[in-house]
Amino acid sequence: MNTFIWALTVGIALTMLVSLYRLLHGPTLWDRLSGLGLVGTKTIVLVLLMGRITGREDIFVDITLSYTLISFIGALALAKYFEGKETGP
Amino acid sequence: MTDYLACALLGSGFFFIVTGALGILRLPDFFTRLHAMGKSDTLGVALMVLGTAVLEGATLNGLKIVLIIFFVGLANPTATHALGRAAYRSGLVPWESPRDTD
Repeated sequence: MNTFIWALTVGIALTMLVSLYRLLHGPTLWDRLSGLGLVGTKTIVLVLLMGRITGREDIFVDITLSYTLISFIGALALAKYFEGKETGP
Repeated sequence: MTDYLACALLGSGFFFIVTGALGILRLPDFFTRLHAMGKSDTLGVALMVLGTAVLEGATLNGLKIVLIIFFVGLANPTATHALGRAAYRSGLVPWESPRDTD
């Protein structure tokens, strides 16, 4: 079971690298913003699995809960801020 | 038995996340990539978080993890929709297949 969770953690980290590529290389600003949201979403699962590995779920679950709300508010604020502006190609 | 259920949930969630990452990498345009981000990623994350909730069992931490599923299911489609609408109102033109325009 522990080996399976380690493998899932490594796999999630690899898919986060794909999202990071979209964040760093994306042709438009909106691609970068969506890459930011993707990295934030996968971080939720990563932190939960790390809590499972280290055996301290009680701390990591609280971190995940607050991180979910903060990343949601951040994504909405960024989308509202850039709405209607000229953003390049 | 609980371990098998949790393994199935975690594995299927990981499958959906990998599919979404493939779409993020390969699709041609921002709006189509948003399609991959909005649906498959939300479902994958919700399934994986549900798998950890099954591993945790019926405790206070399990309740908090179920609350995380609720917030993810609420937040991720809303953020995706806000991004798509903001991009469309800023004048980003959706991609058209070259086979459709002749």
